[in-house]
Amino acid sequence: MRETAAQQFLRDAAVKSADLVHREIIRNGIASYDAAHLRGRARFRDWEAAREKCREIKQEAINHLDKYLLQFEEKVLARGGHVFWAATAEEACKYVTGVAQRLGVRTVVKSKSMVTEEIHLSPALEKIGIKAWETDLGEFIVQLRNEPPYHIVTPAMHLNRAQIADLFHEKLGERIPGNDPTKLVALARRKLRESFFSAEMGISGANFLIADSGVIAISTNEGNGRLCTSVPRIHVVVTGIEKVLPRLEDLALFWPVLATSGTGQPITTYSTLIGGPRQAGEADGPDEFHVVLVDNGRSRLLADAEQREVLHCIRCGACLNTCPVYRNVGGHTYGTTYQGPIGSVLTPHLAGLKQYQHLSYASSLCGACTSVCPVKIDLHHHLLHNRRNAVSRGGSKSGERIMFRLWRSSMLHPRIFVLMGALGRSLLRTLYGMGLAGSIVDPMRAWNRYRAPVPLPTESFRSRWRKGLVG
Amino acid sequence: MSAKNPSREQILERIRTGLRTPAALRGGPKSAVIFEPIRNPLERFQQECAANLMECTLTADTASSASQLAKILDSLPAGEVFLQDDPSLRRLIEVARTQRPLRWSGEGAPREISEATVSLAEALIAQTGSILVTAECGGRGASIVAPCHIVYAHTSQLVPDLETALGNLFRSGKLARNSFACVISGSSRTADIEKILVQGAHGPRRLAVILETRA
Repeated sequence: MRETAAQQFLRDAAVKSADLVHREIIRNGIASYDAAHLRGRARFRDWEAAREKCREIKQEAINHLDKYLLQFEEKVLARGGHVFWAATAEEACKYVTGVAQRLGVRTVVKSKSMVTEEIHLSPALEKIGIKAWETDLGEFIVQLRNEPPYHIVTPAMHLNRAQIADLFHEKLGERIPGNDPTKLVALARRKLRESFFSAEMGISGANFLIADSGVIAISTNEGNGRLCTSVPRIHVVVTGIEKVLPRLEDLALFWPVLATSGTGQPITTYSTLIGGPRQAGEADGPDEFHVVLVDNGRSRLLADAEQREVLHCIRCGACLNTCPVYRNVGGHTYGTTYQGPIGSVLTPHLAGLKQYQHLSYASSLCGACTSVCPVKIDLHHHLLHNRRNAVSRGGSKSGERIMFRLWRSSMLHPRIFVLMGALGRSLLRTLYGMGLAGSIVDPMRAWNRYRAPVPLPTESFRSRWRKGLVG
Repeated sequence: MSAKNPSREQILERIRTGLRTPAALRGGPKSAVIFEPIRNPLERFQQECAANLMECTLTADTASSASQLAKILDSLPAGEVFLQDDPSLRRLIEVARTQRPLRWSGEGAPREISEATVSLAEALIAQTGSILVTAECGGRGASIVAPCHIVYAHTSQLVPDLETALGNLFRSGKLARNSFACVISGSSRTADIEKILVQGAHGPRRLAVILETRA
């Protein structure tokens, strides 16, 4: 039988959380992020006011999404660009592959875009014989490993320099002495330069769509996004319909907030605005400019008033970095395009609640994600909403339902409660006495498998209460 | 258009239908000051440039700007220089007396072999130590293709913060006339390998601002 997404999650979580090299890499990476994030927040006079303002602006944008998307579209068309609205992933891929075929594209350079990962654009291009190169260094590394991104902001954070040097040696045929990061970057730069200047099409995402100006905003540090959108003769933007901001001036807040939450920087190196193909009198730029607005489940999420604010997400990755589950099981365990708390909330809406409801349980509900979210999405409560929705749609297992029924009836009948407690204690005592704690017959296996058994009380709370030992 | 793109109306309709059920509006504390006001834009700009690993040299007049440009060009390997075709830069390069091959933006995009690009800026942003360029500043490639980008600007172009810079860009109609604009805050960089900062990922390793004092 084919493994379900939930079984895969449990299997990979067990493997990853026991992988000490992986744990060390993630611990170091996130410790350096934590320090930068705190320093970044301190640059704001009032970080909480910034979060509140961002939330208000996104709320306004999403509550008038149709109006702002039309405003954006009108301005792009006026500059000679094209706008395509894609209801599904397939439709978006079909449009992009169609443009590529019509214009004789053989090679594509891509800058980082999670929406293109979501719709599986690269495999669709490869299917028609077009090579698509990822040009963000982290994305390039995971592409060479034939892996999806590990993290929505830092796709190769699960690898150390030695592993990357080995990969480059194997795939690019050059050995970097001492695994020097500067030389590794220089090697990738050299290899990718050839692609930038030979590709006919550049594909990018968009961090924001600005309604009043009809421009897309892209934040990058490496400059690969700049080259992808400047050098090839065609530029295609693939982005979600929820990325809208009403006004250009909103970026004066969103650029610093995104950079602070994403990497701890005051602002990313290149905060770029693009609104069309090369205009008359401009020295360079693509001849064609296409924006693909992807729905792919977003309008369904919009219709859910309780969870609508999930569309406020600006994909900064802060909730992944702070999540105690993500920090231990790592990004690939989720088996989804978007990982961590936001991925666990969003994926059931985009890819199906039945298949991905287990992700809502990959959380201790500690609320750390909610506390760092720069647009104040109430993430951990949305995980609870997903759990409730899954159960009310019959998503719970029959064994689980029976156990809850038993628990309910024992809570309602004190005698049964006492009896169950006594039986439970004596069963566990016998098992532990036989050295079977954590074994397959231990009902507490999930806990006891990797830990010393929880000590059993000699008597019940009720009997201690009666003797006056409690209180 | 809708004949070619039937999903357009369908998506808009789904959005409109979805929004008919209002979400509970959450309100929080209002109108607090988010960023510290900037008291001395020049000083702040210089500080932020240093933090962004940019070079910023303050010059007194065109002659000293030209000599600073010559100094930077002398420090680079032999090769072509791409320049925004603007009278002020033609004057500057003439005074700088470089022997390098020059390519002007009127001739098209910078070539991949360019050793440096020289452009003007639309504004300088003190808050983040950034330069704002548009397609008019020599095109898109002028600030990304070569290993070194040199910006010739004046102190009168300093604005305190991003809000002012973006507001001016919008209200002046500049953004509507250009297909491209970029707020550049340092050299190209990456920290994708073990979070170690490496400069010169895909774009310039070096970003130098020649800042001429002008009221």
